[in-house]
Amino acid sequence: MLEAVELTKQFKQTKAVDRVNLYLEQGEIVGLLGPNGAGKSTTISMLSTLIPPSSGDVRFHQKSTLKNPAMLRNALGIVPQELALYSDLSAKENLRFFGSIHRLSGAQLQKKVEEVLALIGLTDRQNDLVKHFSGGMKRRLNIGAALLHEPKLLIMDEPTVGIDPQSRNYILETVKRLNEEKQMTVLYTSHYMEEVEFLCDRIYIMDKGCIIASGTTNEIKNILSAEHTVEIKVEKLTEPFLHALHAQPVIRHIAVQDRVITMLSPKEVNIFRLLFQLAEQTDTVLMSIEMKTPTLEDVFLHLTGRALRD
Amino acid sequence: MISILSAKFRLFLRNPWMVIIMSIVCIAMASIIGASSEKKIKVPVASTLASHETNELLQSLNKSPSFRFELMEKSKMHTLVEEGKVEAGIELSNHDFTLLITSQTGNTFFLRQYVQKVYSEKEQANAIATHAHIPVEKAIHIVNEAKEHPAFTVKTMNFRGKHAAIIDSQMQPIFGFSLFFVIYTVAFQVLQLLKEKREGVWNRMILSRLKKWEIYTGNLLYSFMIGYLQIVLIFSVFRFGLGIRFHGQFAELLILLVPYVFSIVAFSMLLVGLVKNEQQFQALISLLAVSMAMIGGAYWPLEIVSSNVLLALAKIVPLTYGMELLKGAAVYGRSITELLYPMSILFFMGVVFMGIGINLVERKNS
Repeated sequence: MLEAVELTKQFKQTKAVDRVNLYLEQGEIVGLLGPNGAGKSTTISMLSTLIPPSSGDVRFHQKSTLKNPAMLRNALGIVPQELALYSDLSAKENLRFFGSIHRLSGAQLQKKVEEVLALIGLTDRQNDLVKHFSGGMKRRLNIGAALLHEPKLLIMDEPTVGIDPQSRNYILETVKRLNEEKQMTVLYTSHYMEEVEFLCDRIYIMDKGCIIASGTTNEIKNILSAEHTVEIKVEKLTEPFLHALHAQPVIRHIAVQDRVITMLSPKEVNIFRLLFQLAEQTDTVLMSIEMKTPTLEDVFLHLTGRALRD
Repeated sequence: MISILSAKFRLFLRNPWMVIIMSIVCIAMASIIGASSEKKIKVPVASTLASHETNELLQSLNKSPSFRFELMEKSKMHTLVEEGKVEAGIELSNHDFTLLITSQTGNTFFLRQYVQKVYSEKEQANAIATHAHIPVEKAIHIVNEAKEHPAFTVKTMNFRGKHAAIIDSQMQPIFGFSLFFVIYTVAFQVLQLLKEKREGVWNRMILSRLKKWEIYTGNLLYSFMIGYLQIVLIFSVFRFGLGIRFHGQFAELLILLVPYVFSIVAFSMLLVGLVKNEQQFQALISLLAVSMAMIGGAYWPLEIVSSNVLLALAKIVPLTYGMELLKGAAVYGRSITELLYPMSILFFMGVVFMGIGINLVERKNS
């Protein structure tokens, strides 16, 4: 349905997106995962024809959109990271405006506005001004404004930033419903791996402007199939213990948070014996050792050496 | 385009205070400055007449649009004149008056003429009353009637040199402040483009079925309409609220405002194209609006400026041509045809500014 071919964007000296290749099939939810500054928003802007690429192509149903973006634009709904709404208008007035710019009018517009208000759960608050809404309600309306013209493809740029867990769940469920009931194709970007894991059939992981991994959730996790994620809790974190861990060639990607140390180690290594030895040598008291199946976060750590939310 | 206009006006109705406050400040400033330049000259008066005769004479004298006559003790009047606190004082008698002056000035000349005129009218009424054996009040009434319906109509015309300057101290602040304040009103409406771009509303419009020209036209037409409405409101308050007749050119002035407001919308669009963010725009518009007002003759008439540099700079400022249009029609009595030159300049500036501004905005987008 939508395809990016060797997509590149150069801003003066900075290459924000570097030869990105990705595709979306009709009816699937594809995740674009990456930390802040990875190039996700620039990629989305090019995919939605808002900015032209420096090189490469965006194809919609095998046709280039660079010269003729109208076909893609008509089929596209976009949910920007910013709250693209008029805060001095009510929810209903906002939806009526965003519907009318898609040439909806009269009874058809009225019907679509009511439908969308029900879908995003704002029917009761339709006449309230947006500036009086909570963050979660504004986010839901931000999504609603992209759905009025029944787009075939929905591009969502971090739609759950800065909202409470309840509103986040509502949004995720809504996206899932749209995909299942209306067969809407969704490109979902986020730096919350649990959202992407919950929603997406396939995932692209992006870092520093490049796609560094892609596939289904399981395929990506299998990148670390030969390794364990080990989580140690210590009574008191000491420098000698950390030095000793770093000195072990079988231990990689050590991350420390408070008194919890996370690391990757090969499955064939008896990590327990090694950790006990190092603890004894450095007078460190181990509170617990936990072996975990790698998550997407671990995969990202493995691929880039950085945590997703760094 | 209609949907953009409708949403914008809805937003304006929710928050019209900026435009209302701007208009009130403009009306207040123009009124205060206009009133101060129209202030009457104080003339102290002493009288040897009976109290009722003095009052009648003072009433007639105080009909003057230029002088304000104040009754006081003879000694006090003398002191004021001697100390130079007033230009002149008058001592009223039965058939004549004594004028005391500090020095011979234009004002004392007009004062003498005016008081003489009032006295001759009074004497004329007295003479009619004596000869016709009627009360003086009736004689005054007959004289006033005759003045209103004269046997002959005398049409007075004057002529002036091509470059003769007329400074209308009442029109100058009204025109100047209206054209100055509308720059802010229009600029802050056009500024919404930058805000909508930052917030992503612009992108939603770009990805909609609206054509790009519809998006620009909708936004800029709205800015034009708000700016134009503000000046119409200000002029209407002066015309219908304060009774200022704009030399009978009210309707023409409203038409002549169109090219000026258009050029200001275009100028604001140029700034939107030049700046990177809203803060830069606000800083720049504050600086440029005040500079344009000073150079373009909004604060003081260009007729009194002698610096060639300032006069040369004025030629590239839209406000100069806006003032030229308004003063041309109202003060100098020029016809629309005679004002085609400043109108064309404003339209030309508008087209150039708009073209460059939109081009810069589009370049930034890509």
